[in-house]
Amino acid sequence: MKRASLRASLALAAALAAGGAAVVGLLPSYWVFLATSVLITGVALQSLGLVAGRTGMIALCQMSFAGVGAWTVGYLNLAEAPGGLTVWILLGGLAAVPFGVAIGLPALRLRGINLAIVTLSFATAFDTILATITYPGQAAFIQVPRPALFDSDGGYFIFVLIVYAVIAVALEFLARSRLGASWLAVRHSERAAAAHGVSIAASKLSAFAISAFIAGISGGLLAGYLGTLVAENFSMMASLSLYAVAVMTGAHFAEGAIIGGILVVMFPEILRRFDLPQDIGNVLFAIGATQALSTGETMSETFRRLCRKLRPARRAKAADAAGSSLPQPAAHAAPVALEIDNLSVRYGSVVALDHVSLKVTAGTVAGLIGPNGAGKSTFIDAVTGFLNAYDGGVKLAGAALEGHSAHQRARAGVRRTWQTNRIAPELTVGGYLNLAAKGLTESEIRAVLHWLDCPDPETPVTTVDAGTRRLLDVAGVVAARPAVVLLDEPAAGQSHEESVRLGQRIAQIPKLFGSAVLLVEHDMDLVRSVCSEITVLDFGKVIASGPPTKVLGEPAVKKAYLGIEEESVAA
Amino acid sequence: MTWKSSLLAASLAALGLGAMAGTASAAGPTCSGGVIKVGAVSTITGPADFSEVPKATQAAFDTINAAGGINGCKIDYTIADDKADPAVAAQAARDLIDNKEAVALVGSASLLDCAVNGATYARKDIRSIQGLGVDAACFSSPNIAPVNVGPFTLTTAMGYYATNVLKSKKLCAFFIIIGGTQEAYKKSIEDWEKITGQKIHVLDLTLPFQGDLTPYVIKARDAGCDTVLTNQVEPQVVQLIKTVDAQKITGINWLFLAPGYTEQVAKALADTKQPIYAGTEWEPYTETDSAANADWIASMKKANRPLTAFSQGGYLAAQMFLKVVGSIDGEVTRDSVNAALLKMQPISNPLAGSPYVFGEGRTHSPMRATKVMKLEKGKWMVETADWVHLPDVK
Amino acid sequence: MDALLTSAVAGLTAGGTYALLGVCAVFTYRLVSVVNFTGAAIGTAGTFALIALTEAGYPTWPSVFAGILVGTFVGVAIGYVMTRWFAESSASTKAAVTVALLVGLIAVGLRLTGGQHPHVMPELFPGSAFRLAGVEVTIASMLTIGLAVLFTVLSDLFLNRTRVGLHLRALSDRPMAAELLGVKVQLLSLLVWGLTGAFTTFALMIIAPQRSPNFMTLSLLVVPALAAALVGLFRSFWLTLAGGILLGVIEGMASTVDSISQYRSAIPFLVVLAVLLWSQREARWDEAR
Repeated sequence: MKRASLRASLALAAALAAGGAAVVGLLPSYWVFLATSVLITGVALQSLGLVAGRTGMIALCQMSFAGVGAWTVGYLNLAEAPGGLTVWILLGGLAAVPFGVAIGLPALRLRGINLAIVTLSFATAFDTILATITYPGQAAFIQVPRPALFDSDGGYFIFVLIVYAVIAVALEFLARSRLGASWLAVRHSERAAAAHGVSIAASKLSAFAISAFIAGISGGLLAGYLGTLVAENFSMMASLSLYAVAVMTGAHFAEGAIIGGILVVMFPEILRRFDLPQDIGNVLFAIGATQALSTGETMSETFRRLCRKLRPARRAKAADAAGSSLPQPAAHAAPVALEIDNLSVRYGSVVALDHVSLKVTAGTVAGLIGPNGAGKSTFIDAVTGFLNAYDGGVKLAGAALEGHSAHQRARAGVRRTWQTNRIAPELTVGGYLNLAAKGLTESEIRAVLHWLDCPDPETPVTTVDAGTRRLLDVAGVVAARPAVVLLDEPAAGQSHEESVRLGQRIAQIPKLFGSAVLLVEHDMDLVRSVCSEITVLDFGKVIASGPPTKVLGEPAVKKAYLGIEEESVAA
Repeated sequence: MTWKSSLLAASLAALGLGAMAGTASAAGPTCSGGVIKVGAVSTITGPADFSEVPKATQAAFDTINAAGGINGCKIDYTIADDKADPAVAAQAARDLIDNKEAVALVGSASLLDCAVNGATYARKDIRSIQGLGVDAACFSSPNIAPVNVGPFTLTTAMGYYATNVLKSKKLCAFFIIIGGTQEAYKKSIEDWEKITGQKIHVLDLTLPFQGDLTPYVIKARDAGCDTVLTNQVEPQVVQLIKTVDAQKITGINWLFLAPGYTEQVAKALADTKQPIYAGTEWEPYTETDSAANADWIASMKKANRPLTAFSQGGYLAAQMFLKVVGSIDGEVTRDSVNAALLKMQPISNPLAGSPYVFGEGRTHSPMRATKVMKLEKGKWMVETADWVHLPDVK
Repeated sequence: MDALLTSAVAGLTAGGTYALLGVCAVFTYRLVSVVNFTGAAIGTAGTFALIALTEAGYPTWPSVFAGILVGTFVGVAIGYVMTRWFAESSASTKAAVTVALLVGLIAVGLRLTGGQHPHVMPELFPGSAFRLAGVEVTIASMLTIGLAVLFTVLSDLFLNRTRVGLHLRALSDRPMAAELLGVKVQLLSLLVWGLTGAFTTFALMIIAPQRSPNFMTLSLLVVPALAAALVGLFRSFWLTLAGGILLGVIEGMASTVDSISQYRSAIPFLVVLAVLLWSQREARWDEAR
């Protein structure tokens, strides 16, 4: 992970340095001035790319954050605060953070369209408020001074370029970090993210806070660039067209932000040269954004796809385990890993689970079976904290879990897999494992993947087939080595041979990883071969429990589970 | 009327004298390549269209160019659109300064040129004879001096008129505050208080840019205002009076600034019985028979440009620039134009009630006289035949 | 207290507008599942067609008719874009598309109409209906509220009581499935777009004389309108109606209190925030996934 980030960052820094030198060395002052504008717009676009591109939220008030940063710089300048522009810009970015968090707070509950409307009304409100506050120092004709070292046009360009590069590299590292993976995961499925112990609130708020910080910085840069500012710099229409551009170019990619900046800056220039009216620009952005949305592919993605075509295709190869070993099993001392006591769940008048009790002993694999609709999935949801309410008690290693949310339970040591594929496709296999199991070394990740026949860590999830993604789900959960893992039909959709192989792996989990397993399955052979204890559910009630041979032989189980309907109806 | 024509004669004489002086010393302005490059940054597309201003400047320059230019120098004039977008405005200004190498900016009219580019002009040492100063920075920047009175001085002047002529005792002011004009309007009202010794009855700085005005006219009525002064621009002027009529309010004088003084407003408000006044920036443009307007009208007719207040501003800015350039001995460069603007004597033009001067100083607001118009049955009538000169603040 | 009542009544005009536009937004959302940011811009286009025609000297009512046709046409055009390319997209994507289209529409609109000069907007329903708390309540504002109520009742009946309405709801839930059932999805969608286009146009025509008829400001009425729609959670027409009127009244009241008057435009934001946080306090997970 680290190496990949470093490599990408170095490439980025080198490209920027070369481009910067070319701009300052070769272009006349006017074009340097325009190039500075491109970079500042690029910074604003990066901030938007973070929240719109990575977390998938429609944020229509990005320029408002920039306005907070710009105004802060203005006030600091007027107050002759120490530190000069560099410090003021940072403080301006920080000043925007509370606003970002305030907008992000409703985003914990609000998604998609609701958030779009909230941010748009915030932009409108901020717009009119900002319009009444004169830019600090404007009335007395006091300009925001540039740092002495970077006072000329060329110098300020270098200054902005450095800021841009720092932000781009920081974002590159963030994107590959666990936090970056959590944004993609939250975007794809909040439940799946929470099941990995990701706090949805922290993830969303951090995205908004970092995004507001960067936007605030772009506002501060603009203040140094122009010396004084007007409210129109940060109007709602500016936010809207910035959003259109971000959607069009894919602003969460470093090159997308630059392309967007070039479009925003060069359009007026080109239009002026051809003596065309300036407002055509917005129309073209609108068309471009609509086009990008309709194909589902931004300009950067097109660019990357075309680049990939040029290179020879890399075959997805299996993870290579040479020289690597599985992580040490975690020590879980409690004799009973999971204890469920009289668990009941009601949906209105329907009783989904009725006083279900069961135990999973540490170091064993237990099974939970039952016909469709028996309440198995509800059981997992209740135990792992995805239901709003249930009666009864869930104890993990003796400690009650009531009052803990899903991600807290996951962190405490109750992990689950899903029947449907919920892995964010934008991640790599390694990135996913890093998200699911914090703190693994690269060689441990490789070993876990190899153990479950999963592909190489660098493989993008998009190229992994559905069956393997289910294995990947299991790999992530066991790699985290929690006290107990709840596997929800892991063998569904696998061939017989694969399922046998999977069974062998599951049986090894307690020994290799130290986790107890509760296996929910339809595949009888698998259950019989792996589990030491089985509990059978029917219509939300436990109808049998004990060792597999005994339980599967009971007539009630045969009736309910093995499909002897006529008799069960008669009974 | 006699004093006006004598003024005209005097200024014509001055012009002749200047020209004669030029030929006498055989120096006058020269230029490399036979052109003097001049530019303007104006809002043309977007939420407003001020293109009439620089186009009138263009027309005035075309007339001079057709007659052989100034001392043989043709004026190469570039109008740049800023779309009311600060980023575009900054680009446009830099393009004019760096690439087009303009010696000065003449006839600009923009929602935000002064605020955005005032600093750039100071840094690049170029001066702007603004055709229509709109935002507050136009009147508070070292390198910009507009040829119009501007909303802030005009606010004080209209208040002065309300107190002295309309005998208003309860003057209320309602302002729409956009783009950093709050301090400027507050200062205008303070100036009025100092000049007249009155206190403002209601000062409301919260008029909405868009939205229903009913609550505000109700507020004015309930506060007992006898005169309401507001800075609403054209479309909202109509909206305000329609709202007043809808509320059946009577007995309040409605005073507007120059943006209210247009034929569209007159036409849209032909039916109202409200007493409506507006202050002008220059000689009322609707008075087509006025001698003061004669030159301007002739010039616009020749160039086929409409007769609007905007085109007066553009025309006036061009005239001021031509006179200043005419006074230069030697090559016309940015530096020589700057020097000429700094040491220029006030220049009078019949279009304006005050002489125009750039000169030294951190801020410039040379124009301080208006004529007040009254709306009568869909037509603007001159209410004050003579200029209302605003006295200096004591 | 009196002053507050007076200003509350004064806010009714705005409230009626927000309500009507909000109800139109809910109608669009429930039938074609698009949160339409261009709603007000569509109506504005039609209104400006009316202005252009009357300024060119055509008689008022035929021009009104032509204006409504233009609004309908613009609505259908946007509807065509949405159904042609985005029928299967997620609600968020569709909303993003309308945001992008709004940016373009405003640019085109300002270009065609010019921002500076006032247009002579014919008053379709001049005069005041009655006087309340010292405020003349205009016929136009009563009419907008009346129209909002009418549209609310009709939408409610249409969606819950008629066969076509049920069809349309099926369509909004699962366009593919509806197609299989023989519902002409695209045609019905376009019908909805046209209908809401016509309604918003007429609504904006009524209120335009009391607003500054400027393409951008009228188009941005969509913000309080969507705020009202959120009060109804994009589901209930009656709550939306109430929400819109309430927004207008609160705004009116705020304009009398000097200390908050300046921040009046933040009201839709605060109302939306409060309503949403309250109504969604139980919702913990994103839809279904």
